[in-house]
Amino acid sequence: MPTSSSPPSRAVASAFRSTSPNRLPGRKLSHRSCATHERIDVLVNNAGRHEDALLAHMPVKSWQNVLDTNLNATFHGCQAVLHAMIHQRSGRIVNVASLSALLAPAGQTNYAAAKAGVVALTQSLAKEVARMNITVNAVCPGFIETEALSSLGDDERKAARSRIPMRRFGKPEEVAATVRFLACAEAGYITGSVVKIDGGIL
Amino acid sequence: MEDAPALKERIKNLMVENLMLQVTPAEIGDDLPLFGPGGLGLDSVDALQLVVALDKNFGLKIADPATAKVVLQSVNTIADAVQKKLAA
Repeated sequence: MPTSSSPPSRAVASAFRSTSPNRLPGRKLSHRSCATHERIDVLVNNAGRHEDALLAHMPVKSWQNVLDTNLNATFHGCQAVLHAMIHQRSGRIVNVASLSALLAPAGQTNYAAAKAGVVALTQSLAKEVARMNITVNAVCPGFIETEALSSLGDDERKAARSRIPMRRFGKPEEVAATVRFLACAEAGYITGSVVKIDGGIL
Repeated sequence: MEDAPALKERIKNLMVENLMLQVTPAEIGDDLPLFGPGGLGLDSVDALQLVVALDKNFGLKIADPATAKVVLQSVNTIADAVQKKLAA
C-alpha cells in the first residue's frame, strides 16, 4: 500500500507572500516549508493582481507586474515544491487562475494572458507529474466578493451582477471549498482540470 | 564504501521501484542504455524521477541537463558518479 495515502498525524498550513517579483519565494520557500513540516502535501498558488488598461495605453510596467505576480510566481511556486513532491510520490497543486483566462475581456490583455498562461501551465505540468501521483488543477473564479471588486461603483456592481445567471457574486468560501476538494484524497484522479466557479457566466 | 556490484544492485532496485518499471532488477544489464530504442526505454519524466531519487538516496546532485546526459547513460555510469560522490 502506498504510504502516501496515509494521512499525516498533524497537518500544518503555511502562507508565503512575496510582494516583490524580484524576490519570489523559489526554493527557499520549499526548504523552509520542508524543514518545518517534513513534507509538502498541497501547494495553492493564489497570488493575484490586476492592472487593467487598454493595451494601446498600457504601461510596460503594468504588463510586467501582472505577468510576474500571476504567471511567474506560479512557476516559481511549483518549482519550489516539485522535488519534495516527486520524492514523496504524492502531492496536490491547485492554481488559482481566473474566468478572465477563458473570457479574455477587453482591458485585461495582461491579466487574461497571465491567467491563460496559468491554465496552460497547469495542463502541461499535470502531464509531466501524473506518473508521480501529483495532481495539478486550476480553478477559474468569476466575480467573487473580495477586495478585487471593491473598485467597482454601485452601478458597475449592478451591471456586473446582471451578467451573472445566478444574479449574485460568489463568496470566497465557495472558491476555497473547490480548492479544498481538489486538494483532498477523493480528487485523486482529477488532474489537468480547469474548474469554473462563476455562477454560470460561461 | 560498498563494493561496486552491491551498489549497482541498489541502483537497479531504486530504478525499478521509483520508476515502476515492468522489469526485474536482474533484467537490467550494467551497460544497458537507459534511454532510446534498444535500451530500457526511459523518457525525460523518468529521468527527472531518477535525478530526485539519486539525490535523496546518495546525495548525488545532478544540477544540469548536460551532467544528466553523462551520468544517466547506464547503471555503470550512475554507479561511477555515485562512487565519486561517496569518495569525495
